[in-house]
Amino acid sequence: MMFRPKIIGFICNWSLPTEVDLANTSRIHGYPKIRVVRVMCVGRIDPVIVLETFAKGADGVLVIGCHPPDCHYIEGNLQAERKIEMLKKLISQTGLEPERLRVDWAYASEVERFTKIINDFRNQVTALGQSPLAGEKPDENILAGIMAAKVVAGDSRLRTLVGREKKLVEEGDVYGEKVGQEEFDKVMDESIDVEYVRSRIHLLVKDKPMSVEGLAKHLGLDPKNVLRHIVVLRQRGLLALDRIEGEDPIYIALEVM
Amino acid sequence: MTVVSCAFKNKRRLPPCRAACPADVNVQGYIALLQQGKFKESVELIRKSMPFPAICGRVCFSPCQDACSRKNIDQPVGIRYLKRLAADIEREQGRIKPDPIPKTHSEKVAIVGAGPAGLSAAYELVKLGYPVTVFERMPEPGGIMRYGIPDYRLQKFVVANEIAYIQDLGVEIKTGVEFGKDVQLDSLRNEGYEAIFIANGAQVSRKLGIPGEDLKGVFHAVEFLRHVSLGKTVDVGEKVAVIGGGNSAIDGACTSLRLGAKEVTILYRRSRNEMPALPHEIEAAKEEGVKFHFLVAPKQIIGEGGRIKLIECLRMELGEPDASGRRRPVPIQGTEHTYEVDTVIAGIGQLSETSCLPSILLDERARAISVDPLTLETKIPSVFAGGDIVTGPASIIEAIGAGKRAAVSIDRYLNGEDLRTGIEEEIEETIWVKDWEKITKKPERYTAPHVDIGRQKVSFEEADELLAKTKEVAMFEARRCLECGSCTECLEREELCEADKAVVDETLCTGCNVCAVVCPIGAIKKNEIGIAQVDEDMCKGCGTCSASCPERAITMRRFTDAQIVTNVIAALGREFA
Repeated sequence: MMFRPKIIGFICNWSLPTEVDLANTSRIHGYPKIRVVRVMCVGRIDPVIVLETFAKGADGVLVIGCHPPDCHYIEGNLQAERKIEMLKKLISQTGLEPERLRVDWAYASEVERFTKIINDFRNQVTALGQSPLAGEKPDENILAGIMAAKVVAGDSRLRTLVGREKKLVEEGDVYGEKVGQEEFDKVMDESIDVEYVRSRIHLLVKDKPMSVEGLAKHLGLDPKNVLRHIVVLRQRGLLALDRIEGEDPIYIALEVM
Repeated sequence: MTVVSCAFKNKRRLPPCRAACPADVNVQGYIALLQQGKFKESVELIRKSMPFPAICGRVCFSPCQDACSRKNIDQPVGIRYLKRLAADIEREQGRIKPDPIPKTHSEKVAIVGAGPAGLSAAYELVKLGYPVTVFERMPEPGGIMRYGIPDYRLQKFVVANEIAYIQDLGVEIKTGVEFGKDVQLDSLRNEGYEAIFIANGAQVSRKLGIPGEDLKGVFHAVEFLRHVSLGKTVDVGEKVAVIGGGNSAIDGACTSLRLGAKEVTILYRRSRNEMPALPHEIEAAKEEGVKFHFLVAPKQIIGEGGRIKLIECLRMELGEPDASGRRRPVPIQGTEHTYEVDTVIAGIGQLSETSCLPSILLDERARAISVDPLTLETKIPSVFAGGDIVTGPASIIEAIGAGKRAAVSIDRYLNGEDLRTGIEEEIEETIWVKDWEKITKKPERYTAPHVDIGRQKVSFEEADELLAKTKEVAMFEARRCLECGSCTECLEREELCEADKAVVDETLCTGCNVCAVVCPIGAIKKNEIGIAQVDEDMCKGCGTCSASCPERAITMRRFTDAQIVTNVIAALGREFA
């Protein structure tokens, strides 16, 4: 049987054409079929929800909002775009293809454009094949990665960065100083990198106390690097020394209130 | 689609368009539905506030458009055209006949005059469950909409269709019944009508009051238009002079052209700027070839053999502003000049026919019925009046507003409630945009691909395509709306709705201010102890703050994260055909 990707479309209330909505829920033919999840504004889409959607086995996630510079909520679409950009970087860390996520713009009146966006994305996802997280046996490593990414996406560091990005880059901080986009991206990339690894470590030792060596091997990282993260995690009160086996200290996760 | 579910049911912070509408039509709501291509739903929403979407879509003077905030950026949203299109699409595709509304009240209500005010009151009352009978003197209902506005502006079938809707709901209209002759206040009471609403309008033209007015060939605009509407032949000859600067004058001029007049001139005693007619009507008249002479007033009409031949006029100049705020025209002596004419149409205003009414109802000049402006009660209990008979010649939309207010009063009166409680409401205009610069500084908006809709003859397939394109253009036009009100109150959805509100968990909030930064409306501010506070009157329920809060301290009241995840799981599990 031909592979039919399961694609979730997060579509804003103001740009979803009636035809696509109907095709989604009834047997109307001739319009692209996509599993529509309506939201008032694509700005509503929490990165955690997108990751959850992938964890549940979606082969692709398509976010469609109003055309910038228009937006029913002035700039909710641009807020969404920033979140999706961040998410793509975060997802690529987990081993899942970031091409399974896309954001695009259309108006409710542009059924043709809608059709094109959906079909293009469907072809792209079909070429990638079924999601490693779908089916009977999801890829455990990638799933662990997505779970770690969910924690990161729900945590304040990245959310603060994404939330403040527009203001810092375009309007400047309280002193009126603007941050360059490149500079900001560097900070963002670095934060995604380190927070993701820390989250993985934290989740791993939550399951089973592990040594630095063991963690490094599991994650395919330099032990020095792992140790640095462990130091930070201990400072944050997320990790503690469990015991020492031979010469190796074994770490355990702490429950966070 | 329950009304109660909307959090803003009784709120009166209205967007400018709705605040400007005398009939309180939810403009922003139906524009929002049109943005999504919901043409039928938008007509239904208009019908919640008044029964004449197609009529107002054609001839309303659209105060909503004048108030539209969009005018501060470029042009106001074409609200009237959108309303017309939505209503026309509904009619062309076949209006679904509504079921009659069950009569839950036994008290009968009589309405005098089937014009916009009378029919609106009947519409509101029948919706409340009252048995309503409308008495109309003319052979067809509609009043000024049927007999006063010429066909090229408002087709008769459009009026008939909208009145049929009111009749379908259960309003009885008795035509050919003249108040004061066939029925009286007393006779209506004896027939068991417990409340009476008088809305017989202003259907008599004001006289010129100059010599020669009785000559053959002198018409008065309202009567002239009524004659034409009734299908009677009117010979206007070749040269027509129309006196006056209002809509009736313009209508008289354009109708004369259609009756075969070669040269139609409008004589107006003030200048172009003071003309009370709608600007686009004036433009259209000009395009059709109507000539305008400003600052002239007729002095006398000179006839020959009982038939009109010349009209003698005086030049005017503008003096001090009068009570209407317009500059008063002052005649310049010795500037008499004449025009050769076959017909003169006087469109200098309308009066109400008050001779049929009991004198106790009338004001001291016996020109109108005097009422309590808030409740529309007359001096006789159980008798109410509204529309042009009270205000003097005004507009259709104002008459509709009066009809609605009368319906509220009559309902209260029949239920023995106080008529005044809570009637006077304060309406505050809101413009929710926190930062105008954000909108005005935006690069040019994404614009619709151009569609040329001409009046070519088309096949059925092409007509379909044309309709689709027209709809597309309309949806883009609707998108120009800035959505000034916090909630469109379209009452369309339950879970996914602008009446959704953000809620801050104060124990989790750290006061980081991210929500205030991302909120496009400025509905979130920190309080004195640094905790985020949502202004519920402002919040439009988009949820951007909830998706951005670093501490995940903000949730939506209805459309929670858990709800979205549930929807995602349901969507993933759905089998496609």
